[in-house]
Amino acid sequence: MTTAVSIPRTGGSGGHTAVAARARQVVKAYGSGETRVVALDHVDVDIARSQYTAIMGPSGSGKSTLMHCLAGLDTVTSGNIYINETEVTGLKDKKLTQLRRDRIGFIFQAFNLLPTLNAIENITLPMDIAGRKPDRAWLDRVVDTVGLAGRLKHRPNQLSGGQQQRVAVARALAARPEIIFGDEPTGNLDSRAGAEVLSFLRRSVDELGQTIVMVTHDPVAASYANRVLYLADGRIVDEMYNPTAELVLERMKHFDARGRVS
Amino acid sequence: MTVLKTSLRNFLAHKGRMALSAIAVLLSVAFVCGTLVFTDTMNSTFDKIFSATAPDVSVSPKDAPSGDDMQRTRKVPTIPAAKIAELEKVKGVKSAAGDTVSTSITAVDKNNKKLSLVDGAPSVATNWDSGELKSVEVTSGHEPRGPTDVMVDADTAKKKKLKIGDTVRIIAVPGDFTTTITGIATFQVTNPGSAIFYLDDETAQRRLLGATGKYTSIALTAAPGVGHDELKKSVIAKLGPGSDLKVKTKAETKEENKDDLGAFLDVMKYAMLGFAGIAVLVGIFLIVNTFSMLVAQRTREIGLMRAIGSSRRQINRSVLLEALLLGVVGSILGVLGGIGLAIGLMKLMGTMGMNLDTSELTVKATTPIVGVVIGVLTTVIAAYIPARRAGSISPMAALRDAGTPAEGRAGKIRAVLGFLLTGSGAAALAVTANADKAADGAMFLGLGVLLTLIGFIVIGPLLASVVVRALSAVLLRAFGSVGRLAERNALRNPRRTGATGAALMIGLALVACLSVVGSSMVASASDELDKSVGADFIIEADNGPIKPQVERAIKGAKHLSHVTDYKSFEDAILTTPSGKKIKEEVNAASPTYAQDLRSPVIEGKLVDGFAKNAIAIPEGFAKDHKVAMGDTLSVDFKEGGTAKVTVRVIASEDTAFNKGSIHIGVETAKAHVTADNMPQNLMMFAEAKEGHDREAYESIKAGLAIDPSVNVRDQADYKKLLEDQIGQMLNLVYGLLGLAIIVAILGVVNTLALSVVERTREIGLMRAIGLSRRQMRRMIRLESVVIALFGALLGLGLGMAWGATAQKLLALEGLKTLEIPWPTIITVFIGSALIGLLAALIPAFRAGRMNVLNAIATD
Repeated sequence: MTTAVSIPRTGGSGGHTAVAARARQVVKAYGSGETRVVALDHVDVDIARSQYTAIMGPSGSGKSTLMHCLAGLDTVTSGNIYINETEVTGLKDKKLTQLRRDRIGFIFQAFNLLPTLNAIENITLPMDIAGRKPDRAWLDRVVDTVGLAGRLKHRPNQLSGGQQQRVAVARALAARPEIIFGDEPTGNLDSRAGAEVLSFLRRSVDELGQTIVMVTHDPVAASYANRVLYLADGRIVDEMYNPTAELVLERMKHFDARGRVS
Repeated sequence: MTVLKTSLRNFLAHKGRMALSAIAVLLSVAFVCGTLVFTDTMNSTFDKIFSATAPDVSVSPKDAPSGDDMQRTRKVPTIPAAKIAELEKVKGVKSAAGDTVSTSITAVDKNNKKLSLVDGAPSVATNWDSGELKSVEVTSGHEPRGPTDVMVDADTAKKKKLKIGDTVRIIAVPGDFTTTITGIATFQVTNPGSAIFYLDDETAQRRLLGATGKYTSIALTAAPGVGHDELKKSVIAKLGPGSDLKVKTKAETKEENKDDLGAFLDVMKYAMLGFAGIAVLVGIFLIVNTFSMLVAQRTREIGLMRAIGSSRRQINRSVLLEALLLGVVGSILGVLGGIGLAIGLMKLMGTMGMNLDTSELTVKATTPIVGVVIGVLTTVIAAYIPARRAGSISPMAALRDAGTPAEGRAGKIRAVLGFLLTGSGAAALAVTANADKAADGAMFLGLGVLLTLIGFIVIGPLLASVVVRALSAVLLRAFGSVGRLAERNALRNPRRTGATGAALMIGLALVACLSVVGSSMVASASDELDKSVGADFIIEADNGPIKPQVERAIKGAKHLSHVTDYKSFEDAILTTPSGKKIKEEVNAASPTYAQDLRSPVIEGKLVDGFAKNAIAIPEGFAKDHKVAMGDTLSVDFKEGGTAKVTVRVIASEDTAFNKGSIHIGVETAKAHVTADNMPQNLMMFAEAKEGHDREAYESIKAGLAIDPSVNVRDQADYKKLLEDQIGQMLNLVYGLLGLAIIVAILGVVNTLALSVVERTREIGLMRAIGLSRRQMRRMIRLESVVIALFGALLGLGLGMAWGATAQKLLALEGLKTLEIPWPTIITVFIGSALIGLLAALIPAFRAGRMNVLNAIATD
């Protein structure tokens, strides 16, 4: 059993606890009997508010599964997950959808945008679906920060990969979710475009107080985070605060070597 | 071999996606085969009954009515009984027997209810002799032996719940008489629908012909080894030249009997095949869409195949091969379905009284071949364009993103071609609307309909963009962002939306067109009825003319100011002053007819046309044969003498009733034709004395109690009758068009289902960012509704334009009032929205159920 539970610290704004999301004893297993595969093995984790958390680990370590479970996209076999004080595990589809819509933002590796909608329509989509009016000033600020002002009427296929990901980031931010989950958000981008998106995410944490959880296998991407969690074989095996690319790479080599030895 | 293998694997891998296309092929082929099997079975059933009942050689008077023709005059042409002995002596005759047959009868039970199996099918009264045993068997009771005995066929007995001892009153031309059932006879072959009443020999002669010692025909049985044709020759030789008798072999009688019926069956067959053709056409759209979408979804795979060395032709062929497999599977099932459909149709006819035995189902060898050829050809032809498109996919496609490449916007060439076609179609319709002669216009109408239809199909994708936007602006706004997403989805591939909508358009255009024409017919007829019909009552028999005793009863009714006779000489010959002989139908009516039907005239006063030795001719006749007012014509009635008549009226042809008919006064006819040879009244008209309408009606009604097959209708009833008749016809046609519409609905389902598969990742994304299941389902439903309404709008618009044009053209034939049946049109429009909802049911459910994680998983 492994834990990455931080000691609650006060922080964030009005009434919220310092922990934006928690997982307690989460198990995710596929199949049964001999073919049973455990993707998450009694994981405990706290995601700090207004912090940028990276989840790393080799392929098959369960990092994506953990993120999917935290975000309410996937169900768990046992254990509990909370977003703020709301228990996600056990919610019915309807409530879960509402939760995703109103309190969570997503950035995927690819195919983030609806091809039929232009950039601004994509950005406001979660609010449109909820039937909420976007906060004009906030939206302008987000759009401005992402640097898309001139391209809002463009369809996704008229935008570069980096621009598309920035639109996705803007969409995730525009609704002011409590937490944003990114699944290799720069996985499909070249290093320059990737750096743009990552520094933008960083700024949204620093300047807007956003909470971000990001799955990645890229040490450079992880170096933008406040804290890095390492997963292996469905367990959290290590964590690192204030990482740099070199330190992360170092640590991963260490794990890889350990993996090969065992 | 590998090509075959990949095709087969692809076919099996996508059998779900092929299922709807297969159903479309199945339905079309089933309809074609069902029609063929059904009409072939009808034909063979009638063939058998005619074979069983027709004598080897029959001898009958030359002017005897043939086949199902009704007896028109009081006197029936007959042969003296003495001829039997004479004919028996002819070499090769085994036996000769006299037949007395009348189809001009109405039989009623003790409650005065008509004893006919099918409305419109003849009831037959005939004499019983041992020759009848060839086709029937007395299954209970005994054959008729005395003047009040009757034996009835088992089908009629069963349907009308008759049993031995029941009273049957038979209304024949010479008078009516009452009989008691003494026996029931069962046919050895299927008797499709005639109610048959057997009388004894003498009773038949006396009651049906009015006198004994004569027959309507003589049946000869050939001696063993003597051919029918040979016997016919010897009989003709015996009768000698100049005989007024005609001799027919069994084959000839059969042919004659089948002529009328065969013509009807042919019309039915081709009409049904026409509707099947429309369904096939609609099915093509579905198949084109299916293959286009399958190819689009498989772009990467095909790119890979090309990259590793498949040639264009191989790709092309592999898609066509899949189509071939689909066609074969669909057609074979379709053939089986067709047989089922034919059985269903026979059962349906059974409930309407027609007696068809499913054990006699006739499946000709050509039927399955025709079915499979049609099914396979259509499928392969429909898949040809998508197959070519597949062949032209570049190997680079393998390297590109998995997303479906957006098909280009509707091309310029398509737009130009579409507008050209639609434009010339519209021009042809305009010409039609302004045509002076109906015959000229008809060709342009056909051309206009065809061109506008093809034009609309070609510019469908362009129209889709415009119409869907407009529809969405009106309908989808209320649904906020979900509505907008639905609109965008419907618009993202205009070609697909266009083809899906076009499939629905075809069926609905025909519905709209026919409903416009139908309601215009009703409106025009009732306008015309109001304008020109003065008679209070119109009296007609269900089937054939009004019998003399009924005529007398009507004339005896009280509170009437006049009663009008109306009869017709079908084969009269007119001789113009220039000596030209013209065979034309001449109608004879009482002078009061001028009040009953106030037909417009060009010259003269209408009533003068019915005066003694006067004639009223239509303007067309006057023009064609250069006959003017005051000219003298001679009329040979063919049933008596020749009358010299003077033209006193030239009637206008700008009317719906009696358009182009020639009329004389009934007195003129009576002066030259004996009472026996005088045709019976086809119709009668009557007018009530001022203020006694109700009593007059009741009085006529009471008089008609003697023959329930004759009806009296006032003007309101008559309008209702017209409306009902046209309504029934339209319902039948709508029912048949239903098939094409069902196939079109399958097309909508198909497009949506494949779209949902295609958009798996989008759906996952939307669900991830918070679109609820319900919103997802609503989005798909709205897309479906918009597509359906797009098709409906196009179809209804096109159909109403066709209908209005047809009405303009038919205005020349009396269809003067244009009536757009808005309730029908609006119902169809709303119905289309429901169809859209229905079509989206399963695709929407599947989209809602899609696993979010699978959907967003990268590769």
